[in-house]
This record gives sequence, C-alpha cells and structure tokens, in this order.
Amino acid sequence: MKKIIELKNITKSFDGETPVLDNINLDIYDNEFLTLLGPSGCGKTTLLRLIGGFETPDSGDIIFLGDRINDVPPYKRNVNTVFQKYALFPHLNVFDNVAFPLREKKLPKEEIEEKVLEMLSLVALKGFEKRSVTRLSGGQQQRVAIARALVAHPKVLLLDEPLGALDLKLRKDMQVELKKIQKQTGITFIFVTHDQEEALSMSDTVVVMSEGKIHQVGTSVDIYNEPVNAFVADFIGESNILDGVMLEDYKVRFSGQTFQCLDKEFMKNEPVDVVVRPEDVDIVPVEQGQLTGVVTSVTFLGVHYEIIVDVNGFKWMIQTTDFVDVDERIGIELEPDAIHIMKKSEYSNLYGDYSSFSNELDELSEVEEEDEDE
Amino acid sequence: MTNKKTRREGRVAKTSYYATLGPYSLWAMFFILVPLVFVAYYAFTDNNFNFTLEHIQRFFTATSQVIQSDGSSKEVYTYLVIFWRSLKLAVISTVVCLVLAYPLAYIMARAEPKVQKTFMTIIMIPMWMNFLIRTYAWMTILQDTGILNNFLTFFHLPGVHIIGTEAAVVIGMVYDYLPYMVLPLYSIMAKMDVKLIEAARDLGCNGFGVLRRVIWPLSLPGVINGVTMVLIPSVSTFYISQKLGDGKFFLIGDAIESQYVANNLHFAAAMAFILMVVLLVCMGVMQVLTARHVEGGK
Repeated sequence: MKKIIELKNITKSFDGETPVLDNINLDIYDNEFLTLLGPSGCGKTTLLRLIGGFETPDSGDIIFLGDRINDVPPYKRNVNTVFQKYALFPHLNVFDNVAFPLREKKLPKEEIEEKVLEMLSLVALKGFEKRSVTRLSGGQQQRVAIARALVAHPKVLLLDEPLGALDLKLRKDMQVELKKIQKQTGITFIFVTHDQEEALSMSDTVVVMSEGKIHQVGTSVDIYNEPVNAFVADFIGESNILDGVMLEDYKVRFSGQTFQCLDKEFMKNEPVDVVVRPEDVDIVPVEQGQLTGVVTSVTFLGVHYEIIVDVNGFKWMIQTTDFVDVDERIGIELEPDAIHIMKKSEYSNLYGDYSSFSNELDELSEVEEEDEDE
Repeated sequence: MTNKKTRREGRVAKTSYYATLGPYSLWAMFFILVPLVFVAYYAFTDNNFNFTLEHIQRFFTATSQVIQSDGSSKEVYTYLVIFWRSLKLAVISTVVCLVLAYPLAYIMARAEPKVQKTFMTIIMIPMWMNFLIRTYAWMTILQDTGILNNFLTFFHLPGVHIIGTEAAVVIGMVYDYLPYMVLPLYSIMAKMDVKLIEAARDLGCNGFGVLRRVIWPLSLPGVINGVTMVLIPSVSTFYISQKLGDGKFFLIGDAIESQYVANNLHFAAAMAFILMVVLLVCMGVMQVLTARHVEGGK
C-alpha cells in the first residue's frame, strides 16, 4: 500500500512548556479509514489540525506524498476537513455550500452543477439544493458538510468528531454511511473521536493516543485483543486488569492461582499486567471454579447481564447471559485465550478493579469531556 | 424538565411584556410619530394652514444665478443643487468611513479581549467631547496657518489648502461619524464563527477569497447598519459645512436651518419632508437588495 502522509517526530506545544503532541510518528496509507482515538486533551484534534494546515509543528515534518508540507497553507493542501460543528456557510444554500470549493477553482458552470448533484446524491440529499442550510436538521447539515469536503476530490478527508452532535440512532446510521462513502470514493479518511465503540466499528486502523503520545496503532481486533498497556486496555472496552507474575512461557500466576495462557517471551518471574475481558469469563459451579467469588451487583443491560464479583477483595466485572443472584457464590473459569499478558508500564497501577464502578458516573464524565473539547 | 420551565416562564412574561411596552409606545407616539405628522402637516400647508403644494414645488423649481469661473452667470435649480451636493458629500463620507472602519472592526474582533476593550475606548473618547469643540478643533488643525500646515512647513514640505474645500467638510464628517460605522461592524464580526473562516481556507480560499466569499457577505447586515447610521446624519449635517467649508458649501441641513431661522417654518418642513422620503426610499432599496444576499437563497 502507498504511504500518503508520514508524520515524523512531530512535537507541538501551545504554551512552550507542556507538549500537546510529543514526538509523534505515524504513517497513513492510501484508501485507509484511520481513527485517532483518545480521551479529550490527548492531542488528537491538534494532530488533525496539523495535517489540515491550521497549525504548524514546533519540530518534526509532515510529509504528503513525499513532499514536506509543514508551511503549505490549508488552501493549497489536497486535504479537506469536516468540522466538528460542520461550519456550513449560513449565507449560502445547500447547493452553493457544496459548490464553494469548485467555484474557487473556477470550473465551468455545467461541470460544477454535475459534480455537486453527484455529491448530493452520494450523501442522499438530492432535492435539497435550494434549501437554506440553517433550515436543515443536524444529520442533514452533517451530510452537506461531508459533500462539501468531498466534492473537490481531496486525497485525504479529515473528520473532527463529526458525529458528536448527533443522537445515538442517527450516529449509528452515519457510521455505516461514512464507511460506505469511504469505500465508494476510495479517499483516505482520518477520523477523530473519543468514542471507542465508534472507532472499533468503523476503522481499518485505530491509533490510540493519550497525553500527546501514540500508545498503539493497529486494527480494531488487535487493539481490543492485544492492548499494549493498561491505558489502552482500560480505554478500549471494559477490562479486568490484575497484577500477575509470568512464571514461564504460557504460564502466569495471579489471584493466588496459576493459569495457562498463550503469551511467551517474558523473563522468568517477570511482574506483568493481566487483562481479562468481562465477556471472556466463564461462570461455573463453585466446585469447578479456578477462582470463586461472591456476586455484589447485577445489572441487566438487554443483551447480557453485567455483574460485579468480589474475588478475595478484587472486584471483577463479568458479562454473562446466565442469571446469577446478588450474594450468590460462583466459580470462575478462564480459558487460556481469555487471558492477555502485558508488560508493566507507567499506567500499571492507575486502573484498579470495579469496586467504584458506576455506569452513571461514566456517562456523566463523557458529557463533560465533550464540552472540554470546545 | 428545564424545557417545560422556560416555556411556562415565557407565557407569564407575555402579559407583563405588553405592560412594559406601554410607556414606550406612548413615548414613541408623542415624541416620534406626532412630530413627524406635524412636519408633514407644515410641509403641505401655507401660513394660514390651508393645504398647498407650493413649498414642495418651490424645492424642485426655484432657480438662482451662479457666477461660473469664466465670469458668465448660469441659472440653476437652487435646492436641487444643494440637495445633490449634500448627498454627494454624505455618500463620500460614508464610503470613507466604511473603508476605514471595516479593516479596523475586523482587527478588533480578532484581537485579544483586552486589546478589544482598549480599541473600543479609543474609538469612543471623541464622542465624549462636545460636537462644536470637535469641529472647532478641526478648524484649528486644517487652517492655512493651522497645525497641519505648521507641521508641513517645519519639515520643509509645501503647505496644503484644505479649509473651505469639500475635502475639509468630508474630513469633519468622517471624524464625527466614524464610531457609528465601527460599532455595528465590530459587533457583527465579533459574533462571526472563526470556524467558517477556517472552513473557507480549507476549501481553497486564499486570504482575499475568504474576505470576498465569506467575511464580506456575512458582515453585510453590519455594513447596512453602519451605512444607515453614517449616511443619514451626514446628509442632514449643517454645522460642519459652515465651519470647515467656510460657508461655501451650503448643504440641505444649512438650507433648512436658514429657512427655520428666517421663520419660514413651512418651507423648512417641506425640505425636511422631502429629505426624509428620499432617505427612506434609499434605505428601503438597500434592504431589499441585500436581504436576498443575506438569506442565501436565490
């Protein structure tokens, strides 16, 4: 695959002290759906703005198809952006908004009309040409923004949390649609989001960031199944992260028991982080369990139950379709492929068990995050 | 929850809304509407308050002799010439104000909040001083032996004769009315979403393109407000032209004043009435022309 953008040792700081981006290296390929994923303040939007040309790096190079473009202004870059709040021109109607970049290129009238109508049908907005953009719903404005950014056929489309303002149902539809549009046009999409579910479901490549650094680059499956450290494991989906010791290849000890696993090439008796996903835990009768514990809470979530189990003081989260009752004592069994071993990192002790876990709190903090991004 | 609450508050507010509107309606009636009716009444009546079109006619038909530069005299329509001169100077002043104020308003709107405040104060300060004082100050500056010419002589530059020319009148009007142009432009530009400018750059516009295709059309309501607030007082201005124009440029405001002083109220009212109608028509045309542009739909 052809490299389209290379970021080399990019560093950026707004106040000259705390780096917003800290030595970023990333290759972006042709025809790829790449997602920059991370909590607010991790530098993902700044990275996007660097590629768009709205910021310049303090050091490092941005290479676009082999040319260094650090100082090329946005209007000369073959890259277009879908802005967070769409940034549609309120004084222009739908047609004129989409035609905006083509008029700048002084294309003949017939060609502009043809291209705009083609784009509007791609985003399912045919018949809305004369409508004022201020009289469109959020979802429709979103589509106009996408059509406007795609109409000049950029090499790369940048999307800055474009679905953040939509309600859940519309969001899901737009995810599918964006993916479809990307496949149809063959344009590289760089998508910024803090929603890990969105990232996993849409992307060819996920880039997990925090505090201005890239933690992991990989496919959705890689990122979910083989997180490199406790931060990634915690940020992507739910994880039980335990302290363990790697006894030898394929053998790890934690929670006072020794388990078979699929990981190797650690030092003998190396301390490690052990990740077990809540859906990979099997509930068995107490006498068959490798571990036993007492159920402390049960939440019904439709598809499955989410239960919290106290195993010798460590609270596990388990997702199961079997019903268990609060205060029931249950056994836990872990298949070797349910266990993922990670090297210790600076994040190792930041993520504890699920003793203070609450769905409500989680949602509250997410809303705050979105506000902070402004 | 919050939605319901605000809706209920809105309904309660409706009765009290009309109640608070009451005094203002009365005020508007007695101090705006009634005087306007009086102006119209005086314009269309003679000294015995019988209906007549005499004053209106006089405005359009009165003639007088002017001596041309070659010594020959020529007959001209007195008031139409005065009116045309007023309109010309007012339009020039308005355009100069717009050209000066537009970049200033843009820079202000994009500056740090502290800088914005400072700029604002600097622009407002002249308005704290009395209008007569300001005009006299300009006389001292522009006179043939005034500050400007002293300054030029000091640097061995040729002096300029400004006082008593149309340029002096325009300078005076621009100085007096500039804040009225800056403020509406500034307030609309401060509200403009920076993301729209970024979007335009992203979509292929260079600096001038952004100005032409996004900033200018979005700032049009501010331009209209500013133009209205400068054009109207400068069309009817009278004192500036007397002082800075050396009395050589008799403007419609001066004409109205002199008729009023001569106790010729009916003709003064007729001129004021015609001026008002012309301005209303101008403003109406401008609104219609730009409303379409601002709406965006064609």
